[in-house]
This record gives sequence, C-alpha cells and structure tokens, in this order.
Amino acid sequence: MREMLRMIFVLSLICGLSGLTLATVRQATSERIEEQVMTFVQGPALEQIFSDHDNNPVKDRRIFNLPNGPVTVFPALKDGKLTGVAIETFGKGYGGNIGVMVGFTTDGSKLEGIGITTMKETPGLGARLVEPQYRDQFKGHSTDKIALKKQGGDIAAISGATISSTGSVAAVNDALKIFNQIKDKLPTAWGS
Amino acid sequence: MSRLWKEFSKGLWKDLPPFKLVLGLCPVLAVTKTADNGLGMGLAVIFVLTMSNMLVSMIRKLIPTKVRIACFIVVAASLVVCVELLMQAYAYPLYLQLGIFVPLIVVNCIILGRAEAFASKNPVYLAVADGLGMGIGFTISLTFLGSIRELFGYGTLFGTQIMGDWFQPVTFMVEAPGAFVCLGLILAGMNALTNWQRKSKGLEAIEGPVHDCKTCGMCATKPGA
Amino acid sequence: MDYFVLVIAAIFVNNIVLAQYLGNCPFVGTSKESSVAMGMGLAVVFVATLAAVITWCVQKFLLAPNNLGYLQTITFILVIAALVQFVEMFLKKVIPPLYKSLGIFLPLITTNCAVLGIAIICQREEFTLIETILFSIASGVGFLLALVVLASIRERLDLAHVPVSLKGTPLALILAGLMSLAFFAFKGMAS
Repeated sequence: MREMLRMIFVLSLICGLSGLTLATVRQATSERIEEQVMTFVQGPALEQIFSDHDNNPVKDRRIFNLPNGPVTVFPALKDGKLTGVAIETFGKGYGGNIGVMVGFTTDGSKLEGIGITTMKETPGLGARLVEPQYRDQFKGHSTDKIALKKQGGDIAAISGATISSTGSVAAVNDALKIFNQIKDKLPTAWGS
Repeated sequence: MSRLWKEFSKGLWKDLPPFKLVLGLCPVLAVTKTADNGLGMGLAVIFVLTMSNMLVSMIRKLIPTKVRIACFIVVAASLVVCVELLMQAYAYPLYLQLGIFVPLIVVNCIILGRAEAFASKNPVYLAVADGLGMGIGFTISLTFLGSIRELFGYGTLFGTQIMGDWFQPVTFMVEAPGAFVCLGLILAGMNALTNWQRKSKGLEAIEGPVHDCKTCGMCATKPGA
Repeated sequence: MDYFVLVIAAIFVNNIVLAQYLGNCPFVGTSKESSVAMGMGLAVVFVATLAAVITWCVQKFLLAPNNLGYLQTITFILVIAALVQFVEMFLKKVIPPLYKSLGIFLPLITTNCAVLGIAIICQREEFTLIETILFSIASGVGFLLALVVLASIRERLDLAHVPVSLKGTPLALILAGLMSLAFFAFKGMAS
C-alpha cells in the first residue's frame, strides 16, 4: 500500500513539474512561433503579391475587429506610404481548405494579385493553383466581377481541377467582402 | 576524471551510435537527405539525450522501480516538446524539414535505452558525460551520412555546390532506397574495419553488431517488469 | 473510391517502412524468421489501429478544444504506453491463445515509431475518423507486408555464402534498400 502511494505520488509530481515547465516554455515562445509561422507561410505569398514595397508586411500586420471576428491585415508600404493591403482567406478545395492571400490596391479598385499559403490539392491538377499561369490572372484584375469563365467571368479555371479553381475564386471574393468592411479605416491605420 | 573521459568518449567511437550501437535507425535514414538536416537532428538529440540523462540520474533514487519506464517516458517526452517549441521559435525552416521526426525523437531507442541502461544507475556527472558523448557521436554519424548522400545526390555539401558541371546528381542517393543501401554499406565498412584490426592481432573475423531489439535496452524493460 | 486510393497509397505507394522510414528498428530486428515477422506485423496492425483511433479522439475532444495542441507528443506517447499495457493484460486474461502468439511482441511496440508515427500523421493530414481507421490499418498492413517479405528473403540468404562483414544488419539494410527501390515503382504508377 505504501509503495502504491509512493508510486502515485512520484508519478504525479513528475507529471506536474513537466506540465509546469512546458506551460512556461510555451508561454515564452508562443509569440515568436506565431511570428515565424507568418514569415515562412504567409511571407512568401506576400512577396509574390507585392512587387514594390520596402517594409516587412508580416511585421507591420494589424488586427481589425469586425462583427464576424478579428481579421489580420498585411500592409505594403513604400517610403512610409500605404500602397496596398493583403488579407488571407480560405476556400474549399478538393483536399481540404485552400489558403489564399489576396492583395488589394489601397483604393480597392484593383487586385494586387493573389498568393497561395496553404493547400493540399492533387499534384499536377489542383496544385497548379500556385503556378503563375493561374495566379497572374488576378494581377491587376478589377474588383468589379471576379468569377470563373463558366460563371460569366474571365478567370480561366485549371483544367481538371474545377473544385480547386472555384474554391480559390470564392476565397478571393470573401477577401473582397472583408476588404470593403475595413476600407475606410485603412488610410489612417499605418500612420500616414 | 579518467572515468568521466571514458564515459564521454565511448560514444565517439567504441559504442558510436548508430554505426556500432545499432539503434534509433528511423531518423538516421529519414533526415539525412542533406548534411544540414542531419546536423540539425543531431543537435536536437544531443539536447534531449543529455538533459534526459541528467534528469533521470537526478531522480533515480526517487523513482519506484515499477513505474520507472513511465517516468523516463514523461521526462523524455517533456524534453521533446520543449525542443519542438524551441525549434519552431528559432529554426522554423528546419522544423518543417524534419517534420514528423521531431516528435518521434521520443521513441528513439537511444533516449530511453541510455536512461534505462546508464543514467538510472550512475551519478549525474557520469550520466551527463554519457549523454553528451553519445549525442555528439550520433550527430557526427548523422552529419557524415547526410554529407555523403547530399554530395552524391545533389552535388552539394551544406548547400554549397561542390561538384563541377560534369557531375550528374545520383537521385537514388537522396531517395529512400539510397538511404538503406548507404547505411548498410557504412555498417559493412565499419565491420570490415573491425575485422581488419582483429586480423592484424591474429583473431578470427566476427559478424558485426546485430541489431536486434534487445540491444536497445528498452524492449527488455516492459513497464511493470 | 477515395477511400480505396487512401488504402492503396498507404500500403504500396507510401509504404510506412520503405518510403516513410518509420518502424525501421523492428523491421531490421525481427526479420530473421518469417514466423516472428508475422507475429510482430500482426501486433503492429492491431496496436497501431487502436492507438490511432484513441489518439484521434484524445486530440479531437481533449487537446483541441482546450488549445493544448502543443502537448500532442507527450499525450500520445503516454496514451500509447498505457494502451499497450492494457492490451497485454486484456489479452492475457481474455484471449490467452492470441496472447501466446502476440504477447512477446507487445512490449516492443511502445517504442516502435511506426505506431506513434501513424497517430501523428493522421493528425497532420487532418483525417476524419473513418480515414484514420482505414489509414492506420492500411499502414499496419504495409508494415506487415514489408516485414514478411524481408524475412522470407533473409531466411533464404542464410544458406548463401556472404562476406562476414556484410552478414546480419548491413545485408538486411541493403536488401531493404532494394525492396524500397521496387516499391518506388508504385510511386511512378501513382503520378
């Protein structure tokens, strides 16, 4: 019986200590991890979108509180002036969600372009979302009507990957909706 | 002092893991596509192994024999989670490269094997020396294997181009089959070296170290045994 | 159809040992006799499936809602260690014949990285419960297949004359490499 108690005591002591240590380490690193993930997952997509900027969009990101929850906005600045913003949204793909980073010009009349952040689409089919051939269709596209040709728009879908194409276009339109909600706050958000 | 050196240095040649102490094969095969990855994995293992040896040795008198394996697992797993978090915070690209093999350090036989076979029976300073030696040996082996595979598979070393334009990369080396064959040949080379030394002493040639699960110590120690 | 692809991919294309590098220690260690290999393989199929399902539930209902994702590794390994203990006791009491054939392999399984590996892959790929079950069974079968084939080859090689330095582990690894090369063909078929 005494041995039993000792076993339980020692085990719970070790587990408790380990839990405490891990919670501390977690606390200490969580901010940096978020920063790192953003730099290596969202960062490359942002670089694809904004060709001309001199800031670090990940570092300068701001969170806007909207009725549907908070939204992270990544700005592109040149000489301290805002030239565009990007918002990440998710569309339904064939192999799970597709993360799409959508860039807008500051006035919202045009798209700066899109970049794919996360996806698990089929290689050779849906995965061709990341290829410039598809992505570049969005560069400089007007924000009036963004749709696939099948829906009466002018975006050419990837052949054999209708779901992935539809999902990504839906994500772009979601981003546009969010952009329109924060449009007015943008000019003052980054201090200039 | 000499004892301390002995425990430290055995991991560097005599019991060099994984070439002489054949255990913990999965990361050895999986993350040695490039020298960089091998080195990164090795450093993570040094950290976990040294710390786990130290902690296990510190609490060795406290732990009831019946639940010792459970205690070792908790200690090792906590350290692995620490490494996971630190790696994400300070070496995120490496974390993505090593992928699933970072959490799998916890089931690397070296960690629990050394805890059971050495740290739980020896004072702290010896346990640390043992862990450090084994860890460094493991790192050297991984980097060595990684260098060979990277050199022939990509023509580079630590990411720098080594081979000239004439060189046609042997993709086989960086794929799974290359990993198995390469490790097999290195082990055979090690055995041949041992046998050559034995021959010069007039001894008979022997078969190399066998990898069977018993060598990893862990398997013979089922919880509660 | 998708499920069919998942199963075939897990057994042949992404074979857990020969393409994903998991479970190599028991792969080399228990492939000297085909009967032993069979036992080990079956034990892995059994435990890996149970472990994947339980860890899936743990992640879904315990870790994820409480934002404790970072504790995944430590929780999973403890769950697996406890599960193996429990399975051993259960088999001993309830199904003694099965215990006799699988029992000696069970303790080896706690540190078999294939089991923890499968559980973690299921999480990283964000599988549903059905996908998890199918994937873990298929991966286990892939392990069984690779192990039994290697064991059969090694049994035959016992009769051959091999340079003494190559005997044992080195030869087993080179054989595994050649098998892995053969399995590579499936990758070509898949794409």
